[in-house]
Amino acid sequence: MGEKKNHAEKQYQEIKTKAEVKKPLTQDKTVVMVGTATCGKAAGAIDVRETFKEEINKRKLNAEVVEVGCIGHCYAEPLVVISKPGFPSLCYGNVDEGLSSRLVEDYLVGDDPCYEYALVALEPNEEFPTFTDFPRGMFEQKVILEQCGLIDPEQIDHYIAVDGYHALAKALDMEPKEVIEMIKESRLRGRGGAGFPTGKKWDFCCMNVQDPVRYVICNADEGDPGAFMDRSILESNPHQVIEGLIICGYAVGASQGFIYVRSEYPQAVRRIYTALEQAREKGLLGEGILNTDFSFDIEVFQGSGAFVCGEETALIHSMEGKTGMPRHRPPFPAEVGFRGKPTVINNVKTLSYIPHILNKGVEWFQSIGTPDSPGTAVFALVGKIENTGLVEVPMGTTLRTLVYDVGGGIRNEKEFKAVQIGGPSGGCLPESALDIPIDFDSLQEAGAIMGSGGLVVLDEDDCMVEIARFFLDFTQKESCGKCTFCRLGTRHMLDILMRITTGQGEKKDIEILGDLAVDIKNGSLCGLGKTAPNPVLTTLRYFMDEYEEHIQGKRCPSLMCPELINFYIVPKKCSKLCSACVGSCPVEAIYTREDGLKAIDLEKCVKCNSCPLACPPEYDAIIKVSPPERVEELEKENA
Amino acid sequence: MNKKISITIDGKEISAEEGRELLWVALENDIFIPNLCALKEKDRPSASCRLCFVEIEGFPRPVTSCTQPVTEGMVVNTRSPEVDRLVGTAFELLLSDHRLGCSKCPKNKACALQRIAKERKLKLKPKRLDKFEKDTPIDDSTDLFVLDRNRCVLCGRCIWADRHIARVGAIGFSQRGIKRKVSTFGDKLLKDSPCIECGECVEVCPVGALVFKKDYGK
Amino acid sequence: MELLEGEKEVIISQVSEILGKHKHNCENLVPMLQEVQNQLGYVPELAMEMIADSLEVPAVAVYSIVTFYNQLRLNPPGDHQIRVCMGTACHMIGGQIILNSFERRLQIEEGETTEDRKFSLERVACVGCCAIAPVVVIDDLVDGKVTPTRVDGILLSFENSNNNEGKKEQEQKPVERGEGQE
Ligand SMILES: Cc1cc2nc3c(=O)[nH]c(=O)nc-3n(C[C@H](O)[C@H](O)[C@H](O)COP(=O)(O)O)c2cc1C
Ligand code: SF4
Ligand code: FES
Repeated sequence: MGEKKNHAEKQYQEIKTKAEVKKPLTQDKTVVMVGTATCGKAAGAIDVRETFKEEINKRKLNAEVVEVGCIGHCYAEPLVVISKPGFPSLCYGNVDEGLSSRLVEDYLVGDDPCYEYALVALEPNEEFPTFTDFPRGMFEQKVILEQCGLIDPEQIDHYIAVDGYHALAKALDMEPKEVIEMIKESRLRGRGGAGFPTGKKWDFCCMNVQDPVRYVICNADEGDPGAFMDRSILESNPHQVIEGLIICGYAVGASQGFIYVRSEYPQAVRRIYTALEQAREKGLLGEGILNTDFSFDIEVFQGSGAFVCGEETALIHSMEGKTGMPRHRPPFPAEVGFRGKPTVINNVKTLSYIPHILNKGVEWFQSIGTPDSPGTAVFALVGKIENTGLVEVPMGTTLRTLVYDVGGGIRNEKEFKAVQIGGPSGGCLPESALDIPIDFDSLQEAGAIMGSGGLVVLDEDDCMVEIARFFLDFTQKESCGKCTFCRLGTRHMLDILMRITTGQGEKKDIEILGDLAVDIKNGSLCGLGKTAPNPVLTTLRYFMDEYEEHIQGKRCPSLMCPELINFYIVPKKCSKLCSACVGSCPVEAIYTREDGLKAIDLEKCVKCNSCPLACPPEYDAIIKVSPPERVEELEKENA
Repeated sequence: MNKKISITIDGKEISAEEGRELLWVALENDIFIPNLCALKEKDRPSASCRLCFVEIEGFPRPVTSCTQPVTEGMVVNTRSPEVDRLVGTAFELLLSDHRLGCSKCPKNKACALQRIAKERKLKLKPKRLDKFEKDTPIDDSTDLFVLDRNRCVLCGRCIWADRHIARVGAIGFSQRGIKRKVSTFGDKLLKDSPCIECGECVEVCPVGALVFKKDYGK
Repeated sequence: MELLEGEKEVIISQVSEILGKHKHNCENLVPMLQEVQNQLGYVPELAMEMIADSLEVPAVAVYSIVTFYNQLRLNPPGDHQIRVCMGTACHMIGGQIILNSFERRLQIEEGETTEDRKFSLERVACVGCCAIAPVVVIDDLVDGKVTPTRVDGILLSFENSNNNEGKKEQEQKPVERGEGQE
């Protein structure tokens, strides 16, 4: 590294010194950080931000309100972090306008941090526990999520102040080949699903030395219907991804990069544009980056809503103005890609690791995770779990730890049934698979895939046939329709699953379903079709009994499939004094019987599940029964 | 011209041009491999019908022969239990979405589907799968030919002919997934499209979806 | 779809402006279509033809693209767009029930627009707010933890606000108010 002058480094230090003045967590001023990523906004973060601003202005306090991204604890949105000189930085959850006013009054004006509302402190201190004092914090290890929620994504100085873009300077002072070598050595694997070694991909892209034109693309088309890691990273720390992409461009010798982002993520799109603009102003993007002779720029391309466009050849076609249909590989994009030129396509998370690896080194990276899957894994934990949100754990952590220690276990004391991992391309794993370590290869063996990182926890009330049907419905709708297996095969599978979940399944259906699944997996043209059967294959493998119940008993054991259940008000439990359920029913199916108790008109009932939720817990009178005919028996018994 | 190499297909030694797609090498040597979407003139195969699977020694699983360049010493089997299973399912899937009634179809006896069924001893009527009931109106608005989408297998050959032989741009694929179909702009009738009725698309249709009016009722 | 009087002119002027902003190559096709939709709410046939002409590609090639992508619409949407999230988390917690509730209340199916063009109903796959499932996005506002009864409330609030708008209009035009009172 020595022989190249430290041009970039020198220039970087200048930029950094200027940026440090604007460091978010300074010790001489109170800063209120409001999480306004999409999840925060939906929970009311904008009102919270406004309340803080108003109250602070009204009192003329020396305090600043900044907007930050998502800190990952989505279950407690809106989240606010307050850092006041002399106190540890404290994070508050479920903040509303009332609490905002109170915090200004009691904490900013008075000196009472209102510990009863605080979730956690950010730095070790005498007063309040930090993340590492909670089980979740013990198992989590934040690398690419580290700054998410703690810096203002719309202020590049915040990122630079925490050493952002330093890795770029380091890279520019190295030979491109050295950068590739370093990434290869780190054994970083792509986080977009398949886990392909990133360094190898970069190397592959440089093979054709005759043609100097190459492109690099960041794949931010996150289409998995239960995942939002990439969105969250782009909304919370876009510069980290941009830095990774510039380094990637430098390493493979590209002068143009693209970020392909879903247009369904308007806030992410806006923040990327802002970030790119700011990076150009600082000379970190554009002509002669950091005073070197390396020039590189990034354009944004917005996807128009097609899951299959996450597949790399489809993504390229859609950028070229064609329909987003995949093509046969080889040739791989690293050989023949965008505009026919060698092209590297990497996921948002993959690129986010790059600056960290350059800054902290290969050994550090390999010290996290497992030998074959080094680093961390980022998951969007959702479903029937206490602590929904974004988590980052070292690879090799078991699913059990993830669900119970990090996720806080199942909500409402229900029983765990399965985790769905990897979205529509992934699978459902049962209790018995919970001790599988999370890494690319172990999950594949169990029939699921690492996927992009969606992890949905299912409990006893979730029907596994219905889950399989849901995913098949998704892939069937998203199939591009080019090839026979995926276009027609997924439709047949869906039809069969629909028959089963409505009680019209036959015994032979299971065999046809399984056979079709295997053939679609082996015969489809692209990854969408090749993985679409996974949710069915895994549920057939681990939850066959549920399929059989639907087919032979015509009942849904989890009481979920609407055609196979009915709602029933147990007269013994119902109270004449209450009519909560009557008002909750959107179709007026509940009536008062002559004796004052309530009953459901099954003809009218649309099975929307409102009334059991409305029935006060002290009565808990409304039950679901399956098969639906069971109601008649109950009526006779209770007559 | 590329270098000549020698490969083996179904035990038969064949000399071929290096790098050509296996499908064409086989077909030119009278070895049948089912196919619908392949067109020799196309620079990149669409590989969408998924009927041309073969087994190659040293490859973990069957590959589509229309995308596979031949290399020196390659040993190919056009049949194996795995290949037959894939081809059988792909064929059954296509037929589950294809209006039968061969006796009334102008393409009877000249249809690629019938040929595949005969060569591979496959049933035209799907036995495991239900048929999708399609009832798309037939477009007989031109003087020259008829487009019956109920018989279309979405091989895309007509669209290629429209763009590259006729150079007109009257038809293309529209929609996606199960709704994918051959369309004109705005799903208008062919007579209201830029179609010049040259008949190039009809020539390349492997099934009874595009047929000349003169062949009807023959 | 027949264009109303004046609509044609609007389309031509908007599309010409968009065409003026971009280089005429295929790589800009999708961005141009997205801009057309942002301006007009949908991609009319006339716009597709104009764009096809300027890029020198067949109009049917543009039609292929518009019908391929979920986001691009061939018909104008309602005044308010209701998008029900059908992501995994929302589905597991009753997204379908919410969608059904909207369908029932608006008497349209998913993908359709009400006859008075006030509401259109669509499904989306995960808007990334799984923690507050089930989620509905109304125009640009994300609404979480929606229940069937809330659906009624949501629609009612729109009806009320529309009535208010109506009132304002009436106040500005006293003559018409007189007529209304009869
Ligand atoms: C149907 C389908 C959808 C995909 N969607 C995404 C996606 O949303 N984001 C992503 O990064 N990769 C996606 N991929 C994987 C990409 O094709 C590609 O492998 C990945 O972007 C490579 O990046 P990596 O090496 O960093 O993992 C998808 C693949 C398939 C087959
Ligand atoms: S597998 Fe599905 S998505 Fe992929 S090319 Fe075939 S039809 Fe299209
Ligand atoms: S001929 Fe190979 S897939 Fe159609």
